[in-house]
Amino acid sequence: MGALLDAQSWRTLLENWPIFAAGLLQTVVASVLSMLLAAAIGLVMGAFALAPVRLLRWVNRVYVEFFRNTPLLVQVFFLYYGLPQVHVVIPTLWVGVLGLSIYTGAYIAEVLRAGFQAVPRGQMEAGLASGLTYSQVVRRIILPQALRFTLPPLTNQFVNLVKNSQVLALIAGFDLMYQTDSWSSQTALYVQAYIAAAVLYLALTLPLATWARRMERRMNRQLQRRADAGVTEVA
Amino acid sequence: MHLETGFLSGRKRALAAVAALTLGLALALGGCGGGGGAAGTAANGGSSTPNIDAIKSRGVLRVGVKADVLGFGYKNPQTNQYEGYEIDIAHELAKRLLGDPNKVELTTVTAKTRQGLLDSGQVDMVIATFTITPERQKVIDFSPVYYTDGIQLLVKRDSGIKSLKDLNGKVIAVAQGADTGQKLQEKAKELGVTIQTAEYASYAEDMAALQNGRAQAFATDGSILKYYENQDPSTVILPDRYSEEPYGIAIKKGNKDLLDFVTKAIDDMKQSGELQQLIRKWKLSGSV
Repeated sequence: MGALLDAQSWRTLLENWPIFAAGLLQTVVASVLSMLLAAAIGLVMGAFALAPVRLLRWVNRVYVEFFRNTPLLVQVFFLYYGLPQVHVVIPTLWVGVLGLSIYTGAYIAEVLRAGFQAVPRGQMEAGLASGLTYSQVVRRIILPQALRFTLPPLTNQFVNLVKNSQVLALIAGFDLMYQTDSWSSQTALYVQAYIAAAVLYLALTLPLATWARRMERRMNRQLQRRADAGVTEVA
Repeated sequence: MHLETGFLSGRKRALAAVAALTLGLALALGGCGGGGGAAGTAANGGSSTPNIDAIKSRGVLRVGVKADVLGFGYKNPQTNQYEGYEIDIAHELAKRLLGDPNKVELTTVTAKTRQGLLDSGQVDMVIATFTITPERQKVIDFSPVYYTDGIQLLVKRDSGIKSLKDLNGKVIAVAQGADTGQKLQEKAKELGVTIQTAEYASYAEDMAALQNGRAQAFATDGSILKYYENQDPSTVILPDRYSEEPYGIAIKKGNKDLLDFVTKAIDDMKQSGELQQLIRKWKLSGSV
């Protein structure tokens, strides 16, 4: 209890805020880059799952199963320690970004596949029958519904990505976790260090979750309005 | 107009979550404050040597040691036994305390884990190339110095690096939890060069970083580097020393009876020449 309430320890923490700020910045940079890349990988791989070509569907399965079911740390250590032995040295930040993207991309592909498959098949046929082109049907009918199904699990993936970004700490990637570890082992103020880190991680992940909940509600309302309008037209 | 699910709004829910987390942490920390410390001594039924009594009734001295520092604390892969200067000291302390040098239980520690094991009471003391520093003395008690070493640099032979000066703008691999990085940064400032230190959880990872070119040097105490220099003939230890590293036996803050015991033991072993003899036995380059 003493360590938790010691004012001097908390003062020391506040005096050293630039160290934590530097770590937070690196975590944000790594997370944002990884989110973009993971989304791209997830989109392509998710599309493969729905492709009419058997080979592409097979590529999707192999990719998703392999990267979802091997630990992130194994993948990152392979990139960091393994590749240099075959003379491929990727800069540390990019090792983290690549690892996080490849790993999270597999999850996102799976989420998107499930989302698209959750939209009833009849919707496409009905859309085409009412004279819309294929791309119009996808854009206006299928995608809005699929997004609604996938937004909550997608948000979870991005929150997980932010938390998983701490693999950088293990390869001297100067992220928030690395700086927290480093500072706490110098000062022995472990209580202050890890509480501060938890609060800073929350500052990144909570807004993400809150925003997603808001988006979800908005989409639900839009769909409700459309449905109401449809009903009145029919009546 | 929308209906909020649950009984709390989003913002209140988030606040409640943070509050709950902080409270949980506080309870967890408050709940395990037992053992050791001034409070522990006061609560003990008047005995002035509670920790020594506990060791005697347990019948074994628990010591945290290194497993990867040749000549100090090294777990020999052939015999699976710990050996080295610090291991011999641990046995000597067991002999003085329990009358039998073998009544010792050794636990492997690293620079990163040694403090936690000490704080949580999983080991009675740590003899693990632990440098005495003013910051650490605030949270740990140290015995008198039993060995003095210094930070040195291990580099690739063909790199042309001769000293810290040549590492301007380069990356130096150091151990996390060690004070090497801090001390090198101070030295670099004096020399007017800029270095970046990258901390790794183990010496093996530091070595890997040097070997695969992510770091241009690996810095730690000379005695530790010796093992890695032997391992890889393409590397060499540079002669310059960048610090004084006085090693002490670490005891949990407030365990006064144990501290008095190790202080007397180390002073005795210095007086009698026993420490100097052990240093010769293990062919160490430093001094008491």
